Amino acid sequence: MARPRGTDGSLLSSLPWTLAALAVAALPHLPYLPLWVTAASVGCALWRLAVERRRRPLPSIWSRSVLALGAFLGILFTYETISGVGPGSALLAVMAALKLLETRRRRDQFVLLFIAIFLTMAALLREQHLWSLPYMLLSLVVTMAAWLQMAAPPGQPARHSVGTAARFLGYAAPLAIVMWVFFPRIATPFWAVPIDTSSGTTGLSDTMSPGDITSLSQSDAVAFRVRFDGEAPAPRDRYWRAIVLHRFNGRTWTGSEPAPDYTFRERVEYIGEPVDYEVTLEPTRSQWLMALDLPESWDLPKAAMSRTQSLWRIQPVDQRIRYRVRSYPEFRADVDLPEYNRSWYLRLPDGRNPKALRFAQELRDRSRSDRDYVNAVLGTFRSEPFYYTLQPPALGSNPVDRFLFDTRRGFCEHYASAFAVLMRAAGIPSRVVLGYQGGETNPLGDYMIVRQADAHAWTEIWLEGEGWRRVDPTAAVAPERIDDGRSAAMFDGTAEAWGLAAPSALLYRLTLTWDAMNARWNEFVLGYGPENQDRFMRWLGLNNPDWRNLMLTLVGAIAALTLVIHALLILRFRPPREDRARRLYERFVRKTSLQPARGETPLGFAARAADRGADPAEIYSITVLYLDARYGDGGEPAMDKLRAAVRRFRPRVA
Amino acid sequence: MRLAAHLTGWLPGLQSAADRRFKTWVRRRQGLDARTTTLGSGRVYILPTGVGFVFGSMAFAMLLGAMNYNNNLSFGLTFLLAGLGLVSMHSCQRNLVGLEIAFAGVEPVFAGDVARFRIALNNGSRNGRYQLRLEGDDGLSEPVDLNPGESRVVSLPVTTTARGYVRLPRFAIRTRYPFELFHAWAWLHMDLEGLVYPALAANPPQPPASVAALGHRQHDARGEEDFAGLRSFHRGDSPRTVAWKAYARTGQLLSKRFAGADTSSQWFDFDSLAAFDTEQRLGILARWVVDADRRGEDYGLRLPGATFPPAHGGAQRIDCLEALALFGQEGARG
Repeated sequence: MARPRGTDGSLLSSLPWTLAALAVAALPHLPYLPLWVTAASVGCALWRLAVERRRRPLPSIWSRSVLALGAFLGILFTYETISGVGPGSALLAVMAALKLLETRRRRDQFVLLFIAIFLTMAALLREQHLWSLPYMLLSLVVTMAAWLQMAAPPGQPARHSVGTAARFLGYAAPLAIVMWVFFPRIATPFWAVPIDTSSGTTGLSDTMSPGDITSLSQSDAVAFRVRFDGEAPAPRDRYWRAIVLHRFNGRTWTGSEPAPDYTFRERVEYIGEPVDYEVTLEPTRSQWLMALDLPESWDLPKAAMSRTQSLWRIQPVDQRIRYRVRSYPEFRADVDLPEYNRSWYLRLPDGRNPKALRFAQELRDRSRSDRDYVNAVLGTFRSEPFYYTLQPPALGSNPVDRFLFDTRRGFCEHYASAFAVLMRAAGIPSRVVLGYQGGETNPLGDYMIVRQADAHAWTEIWLEGEGWRRVDPTAAVAPERIDDGRSAAMFDGTAEAWGLAAPSALLYRLTLTWDAMNARWNEFVLGYGPENQDRFMRWLGLNNPDWRNLMLTLVGAIAALTLVIHALLILRFRPPREDRARRLYERFVRKTSLQPARGETPLGFAARAADRGADPAEIYSITVLYLDARYGDGGEPAMDKLRAAVRRFRPRVA
Repeated sequence: MRLAAHLTGWLPGLQSAADRRFKTWVRRRQGLDARTTTLGSGRVYILPTGVGFVFGSMAFAMLLGAMNYNNNLSFGLTFLLAGLGLVSMHSCQRNLVGLEIAFAGVEPVFAGDVARFRIALNNGSRNGRYQLRLEGDDGLSEPVDLNPGESRVVSLPVTTTARGYVRLPRFAIRTRYPFELFHAWAWLHMDLEGLVYPALAANPPQPPASVAALGHRQHDARGEEDFAGLRSFHRGDSPRTVAWKAYARTGQLLSKRFAGADTSSQWFDFDSLAAFDTEQRLGILARWVVDADRRGEDYGLRLPGATFPPAHGGAQRIDCLEALALFGQEGARG
């Protein structure tokens, strides 16, 4: 049974709206969609519109099937998978385009509008910016307007549908807010599907090859935000530890896969005053978490301390997360490092960087102790012409040799790598730590922003009786980098390398304001998870906010709101003003205790009532007021006068 | 497969049985409605539509997705859709509640034709009411929109089969506004009925010859259009004969009388058609009446138990056709 394929122009009033809904919903996907999907979708939409205008037939089922198969294979070929938000939204876009080719009746558009809603949801899963909320609302208004356009009588202006859709969304909004606040949030996902496989890793990489990078991109993107309970530590203590690298092949430093260390409290001795703070971490798509050197306790579920004293979590950080940490800036870690572990941190590849090894041995021989040796190396960095630059030359196959004795230009990774190698060559266990250093306080938001540009690498050396100690060789070369943060650290005259190196005061303020807004948004809207909900419920006075109580509250609140909406609707459907006048007039008629005759006009009735001896002037004035309120343009004032006059009216009993 | 076939064979029967029981229950519950009825909220029923079910499933799937990713904006979108569903349920019901429905008459038809019951929908509220459809036994009417305070008449077609009364014991008013997620309806039992004349005989025998008029009318050979004075308007007079100018002047409805419309009258006699059965006779008589009326002739009708002396005009036509329609059925009315 073949369906008829002809079009009759009956979709002309609704199809443009459906297409608009799809376009708005697909807009945030555009940067991610393969070009052919965008081209095919736009092409299908324009073509379908032309078909409807010219009342041409739609393609046959065969050509549609071939197209559908081709599109599906195209997606599979482009993405090599169909799960995840990227391929999923591409598939939705293609489905919408194909569905357009067989949309003939008005009701077929339902499918397209459902796709538009799914596309909107996919966009929200992918990105949640400040503008995502207005985008969502706009998309919903257009979609629901298109929905109404499907059944709208021909000739009715489309703004009627838009207005109605917006009004209904207005009614739905309080309900949605109540549901949003009270719906119980759970911490763990049901299943883990990658949100987006198409975009790469941002932030820290988990390997380090100092010689390969010739230009470090200084991204102003926010890595994480921190709010300290008390005073923020001094800049020189703001080392945000993430990844520890201990394996070196002569060119590249790598670390181990994270493994939990349940005995870290025995291996680490925390000294002095703790620092409590809350980190809001942007998605890193890695398992490592940022914490101030050195974390002691944290509130994130399924997170653990690694064997190298870094925090990590089983689930990669695919979404912005928030956690509280207590750190101790002073600590002694691994004082009793077993011998086999020590050798692990001493290993160097054979035959690589020979000059550096020889230099280290000579210098160690001249030093009285390990401590002296460390100072001597740092002294070398300080006294010899080493420069800090973000655009160092490439280093070739023996990068440490070439850096130490030849180029002498580099950034933190070069210094950390060279320093760690020099330590190992002299028999001092060492490792490289990747993380962030510094952070900029936003006075508008009372918190600290740490940006990708604050990424840093430093070293840790193990000294007998002291355990692991942090040594930052970059500080020897460019102490400003450590003490004042990057805004003050202007080296090598390459200001543009710092991005916002010297922003104008206004721009700087605007940036901070924008960031403060984003931080609020992240904290109160996007970060509204189990912990925040619990806190908020307790603040509201709900003492035991488990999911059962939340659901009960939710149901109660929805019922109450529904009653309000119901009442509002009844109010909207109340009789029009004319009839209020009519009711007042009928009250007046009852007061006269006369029966109006059938078909008698108000003036006729007034004449008769006046004849019966009541106050004629009053009767006439009420009648005129009634006529004015009901039929004239007296409006509300006339209505008020009529109401007062009817209330005053006391007919004398004849 | 067998189970599926079994079910598909069974379901419609089950469904219609349930539907019948529901309708009977509604009828018992609501009783007979007045010819002008305002819908109260207790009699407006509401159920989700197919689209509504899909919409609900989609919202549920989205909720699972939002929970899985702990994505608060997706929660927001899901809950907005859920709120929209709730609001649309209430406004769908409100779209009907308070609507005044009145019977606005039905024109008599000949058996086999479609009787159109006119139903007036009166929106006495400040809000528009949209996409209202009436449903009789012969399907749905086109949707109508009512602006605030607006009234509209929708006709509900019922195909007639036999002379007598065509009944419309029950009809429904339905709406899916605003988003077709819900479907609200109300049943009305006004027990409406309309007159159905006998089907006109297709090939009637010749009517009997005219006999001389009895002289109660003015004999005049000057033709049909001769004006012979005014008389007060009777029900059934053709609007063409109304003296509109006189009406404008005096406010009284008067009909013009014409002299010499015909000079003879004929008797249509039920008993003269002995060769036919009752229904055929009625059809033939109806055809004669209609033809004679179209020609403007005087005619009389003789039925067992009823006699209509010769006359012409709308009233005569209506009286005669009504007698034919209800011949032998008087007791059946009700």
